[in-house]
Parts: sequence; C-alpha cells; structure tokens
Amino acid sequence: MNAFSYLDLLNLLGPETILVLTSLAALFVDLGALRDQPLPRRWLAGGGVTALGGLLAILWLTNVTAQANLAHGILVVDPLTQLVKVVLVAMLLFTVALSLRAEFTEHVGEYFCLLLLATVGMMFLVSSEDVLTIFVALELTSLSLYILTAFNKRSLVSAEAGLKYFLFGGVAAAFTLFGLSLIYGLAGSTNLREIATNLAGKGTDPLLMVALIMVVMGFGFKIAAVPFHLWAPDAYQGAPTPAAALIASGSKVASFFVFAKVMALGFAGIEGNGAWRQFAPGWVPVLATLAVASMLLGNLAAIAQSSVKRLLAYSAIAHAGYMLLGLLAMSNPHRRADGMAALVYYITTYGLTTIGAFGVVQIVERTGGDSLENFAGFSRRAPLVAVCLMVFMLSLAGIPPLAGFFGKFYLFTAAAGAEPGNLGLLWLVIFAIAMSAVSLYYYLQVLKRAFVAAPAEAAIAPVVSFMERLTLALLALAVVVLGALPAWLLGPIADAIKAAGF
Amino acid sequence: MNVGLEHYLVVSALLFALGLLGVIVRRNLLVIYMSLELMLNAANLALVAFSRFNHNLDGQVMVFFIITVAAAEVAVGLALIVALYRKRETAHVEDLTTMKF
Repeated sequence: MNAFSYLDLLNLLGPETILVLTSLAALFVDLGALRDQPLPRRWLAGGGVTALGGLLAILWLTNVTAQANLAHGILVVDPLTQLVKVVLVAMLLFTVALSLRAEFTEHVGEYFCLLLLATVGMMFLVSSEDVLTIFVALELTSLSLYILTAFNKRSLVSAEAGLKYFLFGGVAAAFTLFGLSLIYGLAGSTNLREIATNLAGKGTDPLLMVALIMVVMGFGFKIAAVPFHLWAPDAYQGAPTPAAALIASGSKVASFFVFAKVMALGFAGIEGNGAWRQFAPGWVPVLATLAVASMLLGNLAAIAQSSVKRLLAYSAIAHAGYMLLGLLAMSNPHRRADGMAALVYYITTYGLTTIGAFGVVQIVERTGGDSLENFAGFSRRAPLVAVCLMVFMLSLAGIPPLAGFFGKFYLFTAAAGAEPGNLGLLWLVIFAIAMSAVSLYYYLQVLKRAFVAAPAEAAIAPVVSFMERLTLALLALAVVVLGALPAWLLGPIADAIKAAGF
Repeated sequence: MNVGLEHYLVVSALLFALGLLGVIVRRNLLVIYMSLELMLNAANLALVAFSRFNHNLDGQVMVFFIITVAAAEVAVGLALIVALYRKRETAHVEDLTTMKF
C-alpha cells in the first residue's frame, strides 16, 4: 500500500466531504434555528442549504481535476467517475427542487440529511473498484433509501413499502456478500482488476459460477431486474414521490455504473457466450436472460397498471432490461468503451426523464391520487406541466428526436456490434426493439388520458409552485436538447472514458 | 481430524441456507431479521476462513466492516418495524398486503 497524504485525500474526496458537511448543516439548521418556524419556511431553508452544498460539490467536481487510484482500488478518482458524480449530484438537486412543497413529514432536516447521505453513498459506489468499499457504499445508499421510502408517516402504505424494500434488500445484500466472499476466496484479492487476473485460466469452476450468480442476484436487486424486481412497484408506489424519484434515478445510475465495473473488470475472462446457438457459460448468458425477463415482464405488467407510479416502476424494470444490453456490449474488451459510453448516456437521460415524470405525478397526486383517472383532462388544467409530461413519456417510449430515442439507438448499436463478424447479440437487440414498441402502448395510455379524455366534473386545477414549473421545464428542455444534440453529452462521456483508460 | 478450508465452507454454506430458509418460512419480522443476520454471518465465516487459508488479511478487515454495517442495518430495520407497528399494530409479514401487483 503506497502512502498518501491526508491533504491529497481531502482533495480527491472534496465533493463527498462537502455533501456530508451539508447533511449535518441541514440537520442543525432545521433542528437548531428553525424549530418553531412554519413548515413551508423550514422546507425552503433545508432545501436551500442542500442545494447550496450540491452546487458547491458540482463546482468542485467540474473544476478540480484529479486522478488517482488509492490503495488498490479502494478509491478510484478519474474523469469518468467525476462525470458520473456530477450527474448524481444534479439528480439530487432536481429531487430537492421537487420536494420543496412536500407535506408528507415534519422531519425536514432528517429528510434532506438522508437524501444527501444516499447521494454520498452513490458517489462512493461510483468511485470504488474494491469489493469492500463497493459493499459498504452499497449499504450506505440502501439504508438511506429504505428510510426515505418509509418517510411518509401519514400514509398506510409508506412503512409497508419501506419494510418490503428493506427485506428484499437485506436478502440481496446477504447474497452479494456471500458471492463476494467466495470470489475473494477463489481469487485471493478484493480488488476487481486483481480478481480478474487471478481468476484467469480457472475456467468455469462450479464454485465460481455459484459466486457469480449470487453477485448478479445482489446487483439485480439494486437495478430492479426480473426476477429480483418484486420490491420496485411497492417501493415506488409507497415512497414519498421525490424519494421515489431519487430511487428511480440516482440509485439506478450508481448501481448500473458499479455493476458494469464489477462485470467488465472483475469478471473479465469469464464472459461466456450469449450469442444465438453458441451458448457458453459465463456472465453474458446470465445477464442476457435477466434482460429478456425484465423487458418482457416489465413491459407487459405495466400495461395492466392503474396507478401511474406503479406503471413507472414497471417501466423502470423494462428499462433496466434495455440497460443490461449496455453491460452485455461491454463483454468484448475491445468494444468496452462503446458499451460504457452508451450505458452512461442512457442512464443519465433516463434518470432525468424519470425524475421529471415523478415530478408531474406529484403534481397530479395533489388533485386526489396517482391513478390514471386522475390524469383525465390534465392538459386543460395545467397545460405547461402536461406538455412536460408528454416530453417525458415520449422520451421513455423512445420517440425521436427525444433523448430516450438516441439512448436506445446507441445502446442497441453497441450491443449489436459487441461481437463483430457474427450476429452475436442481435437476437436480443431485435427482442428489445419489439418490446419498446409494446411500451409505447402504456405511455400513450397516460398521454391519452391527459390530452384527449375529458376532465372529471369535480376536477380541480392543481397548485403548481414556481420551483416545480422551473424544474419540470428544465428537465423537459434537457430531454429535448440532449436528444437533438446528443454530442453535448456523448462528447464529454467519450473524452472521460478515454482519459480514464476504461 | 484435520479441519480444512472445505469444512469451514460447508458450515458457512449451511448457515447461509438456514438463514435463507428462516427468511422464507418464518412469519414474524423479528425472526426474519435474525435469519438475515445469520446469512451475513455465514458470509463473515467464509471470509475469515478464506483469509486464514489464503494468508491474506483483507478478508478479516472486511469482516469488521460487515459487522458494523449489519448492526446499522438492524437498527434501520427495527425503526421500520416501529413505524409499521404504529400504523398497523402488527409485526407479521402476512399482514403486509395493502399493495399487490
């Protein structure tokens, strides 16, 4: 282990340090100074403190260029991780902006503190290439999100959702850990790259396959891939809407990024083969199976939903299936950078879109609930928000020229080109395209209610605050611009991947 | 008898399986939590055994972190039970059926 000074460490961990201090500040400001103030003022103050910390962290991330790999991958800082961290903090900021008018709790300081801690966990997750820190960061994220899910004390379903999320998460964490311990035993190291080196030549040891499946189970839970998805619909429906937005966006971004690293770096050499009629055991066929199951079940179950939050949850499961294609594209070491670029672009745009969608659902919820009926005639009650909803839904469905289309395009191209010379994963890509056509049906169902159906007699116009209008408009604008000019995001991603030497 | 790595691994796999069985068949949340702990401790045992037989201390370091994380996890889990109990007056998983499909 090479020696390093604490000042360097502070330099590398500046953004995380800022966010941890902000989480304490949010707690103290709320509990100390604002205890007797009216609730809206406390939300505003807490949100202000959090936003300030987030902006500082983004400033630090974009201006301080540091590159290091401390203690064999315990902390890896390179342009790629910095970029993903900027995305994570941006998602935190949008979530905060959407929670300012929340009424589900009086524990404002704790709420913002947990949002920040969850984000810090995600940032550490992105920065680790070591089994130990991956596990600890995963748990920090998960534990914060369990509490956030159960944060709505007034709702009957919130605590139940939190508990289900916790139980599934606990089992998944145990599986991950057992799998990782077996891998540590087989490889004699906790560093992902060393694991790959030490495992090379072992072939398909049965114990290794067991370990691989267990690790995939754990991460499959985090990204909500079928058959480890059972928590997702309940958690999305029961959680306070801004918390659900963070679970659906930031947590997904970080989990997919680290999942990709674990698979592509840690299990390099035991990819196997998932090409049509060329099956060979390894992680590619395992993930291909998960992808098929997720796309199939996610899209078909979403059609039957009446609660829009549950619909978004099943759509998230389907999208996890598409994103797994990005991981599969990384199975070829020579094409790894393409797969990573497509994956990061997709999760970023998907995260922004889904936060926006949850923001709209939150506004509709104020008029009575989140079922499809509550969307009836929404365009006449809140035209601007309805237009934003249209942008988000069409982007999720993958309609050009929105970001969702280009995300899918790059992802599918990368997956199809992963094995040059033969058809490789083309069967999976064709299946994914067919499934995205299915998904159009339920996204249009929501839009049909909002734009075509007549509003109910007693329908009231929802109260929309300025901050919500601004956030939703910004998100919709981002989805349109990133779709029309994908190079604005893809360029930096490609540069970062090249600089990181991924 | 000479106790080797495989003996430790068999015990740890048994503990893990028992824990999983407990999570699946038990109905009381507190017992489920205990079973969850058993699964984590099975992993701990495997880590310590591997660490000793690989002559590499990383595994033992990891165990300390896992013990801490497991404690935090149970704290959060118990808090969730309290939150649920206030609303429903139950600690049984059969009663968690408000949301389905």
